[in-house]
Amino acid sequence: MSLDAIKLGKDILAAFNGTLADKWPDIKEYGEAEAKKLAQTLVMIETLKVSGKINKEQAALHLEMQKNATRMVLMTIEGLGILAAEAAISSALNVVKDGVNSAVGFTLL
Amino acid sequence: MKINRISGFSVFLVVVCLVATLGLSGCTVKLISSYDETTDRTVTALQRKTEAHLVTLEAVEGLPECTYDNHKPFYDEAKVDISAITIRAAAIPKNEITTKETILLSNNLENFEKLHKIACLSKDQIALLRSHFNSSFTAILKLELAKRRGD
Repeated sequence: MSLDAIKLGKDILAAFNGTLADKWPDIKEYGEAEAKKLAQTLVMIETLKVSGKINKEQAALHLEMQKNATRMVLMTIEGLGILAAEAAISSALNVVKDGVNSAVGFTLL
Repeated sequence: MKINRISGFSVFLVVVCLVATLGLSGCTVKLISSYDETTDRTVTALQRKTEAHLVTLEAVEGLPECTYDNHKPFYDEAKVDISAITIRAAAIPKNEITTKETILLSNNLENFEKLHKIACLSKDQIALLRSHFNSSFTAILKLELAKRRGD
């Protein structure tokens, strides 16, 4: 038995698009909300430094903490992206599972 | 038509490569670790402890009790907590992102301690610290909860 590569490709792409489109808005919303908060915090650090309420050493420590928090947010976005990719691959494999198993003659997927 | 068709053997080879590369089991793919309830619980507990500390610092602002020496036990306990969280995270396969995040959280707790050693913390500084920690804890927990994969 042979498989139609073009049809398989279309099915896989449709599954990818469906899953990613489903998950991407949540990731985007989280990224935007955190970016706004991080920007506000950065402005606060500058305001406190300029007004003399914190000194250079304190400002540097707050900035370092801000950088670390930003890194963590970006890492989470990376992780959420990996999870979305993982779900998309699983969906795509589920779509072609029956055809592939039938073509190879045993349960591979 | 021949171009559009591929043999079962070719499909078999492609799928075997995919199975080997992605470490597929059945029809699921795992690129990142599973949800870990202990990480969720311990990170949440540390968040509560940190927030309680910030509330205490707000309450003693401007009073003699605001000094670092009066609050040292929090920093000592938090160091132990974050160390345990990091070690557990590192022991879980495919959990590099969460492990790196807990290391960054540990750095931020150290910076928090340094700030308190410099001087008592003002309400403005406490607001900044709350913002840093809220973003940090949310980042770790959001990823951990997403690992549930809709279960």
